[in-house]
Amino acid sequence: MDFAYDSDQEDFRTSLRRFLADKAPLSKVREASETDLGYDPELWKQMSTQLGLPGLHLPEEHDGSGTGLLEPAIVMEETGRALTASPYAACLLASLAVLRHGDADQQAELLPGIASGETVATLAMAELASPAGITGLQTTALSRGAEVTLTGSKTLVEHGHSADVLIVSATGGDVGPGQARLYVVRGDAPGLTRTRQEAFDLTRPVAKVDFDGTPAVPLGDAADLTDLVDLWCTLLSAEMIGGTEACLDMAVAYAKDRQQFNRPIGSFQAVKHRCAEMLVALDGARAAAQYAVFVADQDSPEIAIVAPLAKAEAAEAFTFSAGWNIQVLGGIGFTWEQDAHLYFRRAWADSALLGTPAAQRARLADRLNL
Amino acid sequence: MDVDYPPQAQEFRARVKAFLAENLPDGWTGIGGIPESEREAFREQWRRTLGEHQMLAVSWPKEYGGAGLSLVEQVVLAEEFALAGAPAGSENDAFGIGMLGNTLIHLGTEEQKQHYLPRILSGEQRWCQGYSEPDAGSDLAGIRTSAVLDGDSWVINGQKTWTSAGHLADHIFVLARTNPDAPKHRGITFLLVPMDQPGVEVRPIRNMAGYSLFNEVFFTDARTPAKEVVGAVDDGWRVAMALLGFERGVTATTDAIRFRADFDRLLALAQERGLTSDARIRDRLAWCHSRVEVMRFRGLQALTRSLAGKPPGPESAISKIIWSEYAQAYTELAMEILGPEALAPTGQRTGGLLQMPEAGTENSPQSWVETFMSARAGTIYAGSSQVQRNIIGEQLLGLPKEPRLDSGPFRELSKQRQPKVGA
Repeated sequence: MDFAYDSDQEDFRTSLRRFLADKAPLSKVREASETDLGYDPELWKQMSTQLGLPGLHLPEEHDGSGTGLLEPAIVMEETGRALTASPYAACLLASLAVLRHGDADQQAELLPGIASGETVATLAMAELASPAGITGLQTTALSRGAEVTLTGSKTLVEHGHSADVLIVSATGGDVGPGQARLYVVRGDAPGLTRTRQEAFDLTRPVAKVDFDGTPAVPLGDAADLTDLVDLWCTLLSAEMIGGTEACLDMAVAYAKDRQQFNRPIGSFQAVKHRCAEMLVALDGARAAAQYAVFVADQDSPEIAIVAPLAKAEAAEAFTFSAGWNIQVLGGIGFTWEQDAHLYFRRAWADSALLGTPAAQRARLADRLNL
Repeated sequence: MDVDYPPQAQEFRARVKAFLAENLPDGWTGIGGIPESEREAFREQWRRTLGEHQMLAVSWPKEYGGAGLSLVEQVVLAEEFALAGAPAGSENDAFGIGMLGNTLIHLGTEEQKQHYLPRILSGEQRWCQGYSEPDAGSDLAGIRTSAVLDGDSWVINGQKTWTSAGHLADHIFVLARTNPDAPKHRGITFLLVPMDQPGVEVRPIRNMAGYSLFNEVFFTDARTPAKEVVGAVDDGWRVAMALLGFERGVTATTDAIRFRADFDRLLALAQERGLTSDARIRDRLAWCHSRVEVMRFRGLQALTRSLAGKPPGPESAISKIIWSEYAQAYTELAMEILGPEALAPTGQRTGGLLQMPEAGTENSPQSWVETFMSARAGTIYAGSSQVQRNIIGEQLLGLPKEPRLDSGPFRELSKQRQPKVGA
């Protein structure tokens, strides 16, 4: 019985947290987010080459470090806590898609570049009518002999405007109605139009990606992508836990410091109890996210139950805490300069991505055969 | 990271399972499956069986008649009893064995241990807890029940309340004020008091669910020998707080097991009424499932910490809030599922419950109404949710305490009370 991150993993967390606080404070996050790229390529280079983050979970034969999923989950938590502007999450998810669905040649072709940080890859799945991007898709594959092309449109593709490789879900081809398969599309492919969107979440660039007879290569032959959505939900939960912790830390620090009526406002139960409720919400959601990461790492079928559960719990803890953080901060919390709204935006964006808490519970209810 | 129990624990688990299979009556579904008139006799018989098989006082060392089980064995035993819906002892054992016994083992004199522990174990003495008073609830250290030495005995006057199982008890451990000139936390003494004397009167309190599970206890010149002090005179607050720490996280994983069983009952209730396809009910059921799972995951974290030798700390305040608020939410959902059926509820009564009905209770509208009513108590007893949030805010988050109005000698405090608004 050892349901906790081990000391090496906690050391890794501590050093990563220090690195991000030092190299990528929120002032830098804002700067980087406003650039065309939406992240600081120098920082990404350090995260890749110095810390080896994008290759942590990849096999050693593809230049990775061969860890399980616990270490990437720690990276998600810490980059979520710091709102780090980087394509880490996009590369993580895309590489997991390649690892789970690609054949050996595709893995050898794509993974070393992702591991080194030279290739930025992303998952392009969501469509307006399909938040998870695996059912009810409009984007369609057309096979003509060995040639495959995609036509359709994807939204909210993380780093979609600049990624070198896009892993795209599409219906059509030889899969049945309502099913989808993954395709690899190069960023410079003909018939590809990429438009950065005016994002509600200011610290994560997203793009609309249009395909018009765009050449694509099928990624393996699996037609069931739910495992990928469950993994994504799991890792997003970890990211949201980091964000929730940051909100609680901000609120508590302010409540200790800010004086009104000759007392720190945190001594008033009206404020103290709200902070306590944030911790109660966080603590439960954190346990759920940890369990989801654990079963994902074990490749246990329990992930089908725990992933939507953890996603819903984390989203509710994060949106609750991001909102109350603003309330505790008071007027200053409502300003553009204060960072609270960056977390508030991330909280509601993550909550909606892949489906709201209610949508997650609907999936959970189906899977439990309620 | 892993969630596996050590092999020795699993061997022990198999032994407990075998014991339960062998000794529980045929067709056992839980106490709730036994007619109410036969429950008391079953409980007595079952307690004797537990005693014969070294399954009472599992946390006590062997030299005092306990089972001397390791922490993980105690956890496994608690889990298996919870899964089987089997009681772990009598209602008074929670106080006698769990609280007082462990306190005496750590803080009692050798004479006290030799005298009391065998009697608690044999069932000769049935204990209850005299802590709360009408004017000392959340502010427990504000107790007014007094004890004054008269020759070689204490003379006790005052009133305790919310005394669970007090009507079944013949002994009570009492927090009494022995030094009103000291600050409120420093003039309290922990006394052991026999109840079969003219100066002690027990009156049942009927709770809002209709059951009398707790009592008022009145002391009028009640007496106990001068030596019946645990710890030092005027040092009872420390003893009272230490007592709360002796649970050592044994129940970390059982809340989830018990709430899981009652969730299954709730799900069946919804299914029987064809409501699981209703979008709102379905969402709330999935939410309930999630919260019970969260309890399970947090239990695994707590057990990991306990097995690493870390005593449970203020984070247990989070557990208290999670389960007690969940208890209200899932019973409110039951009321929603029942709708008008809840207004003239039919079927088996629970016979009274603290957290949830006994295993085996019929899935009746009546049982749900009683569970719903009883759930209001969970956020009040054993430290209200507001007290828990203070603990979380101050001890886990480091937020400053409120300015205090209750320092200085206890005797002076009542004079300084803030006037009541409108008085």
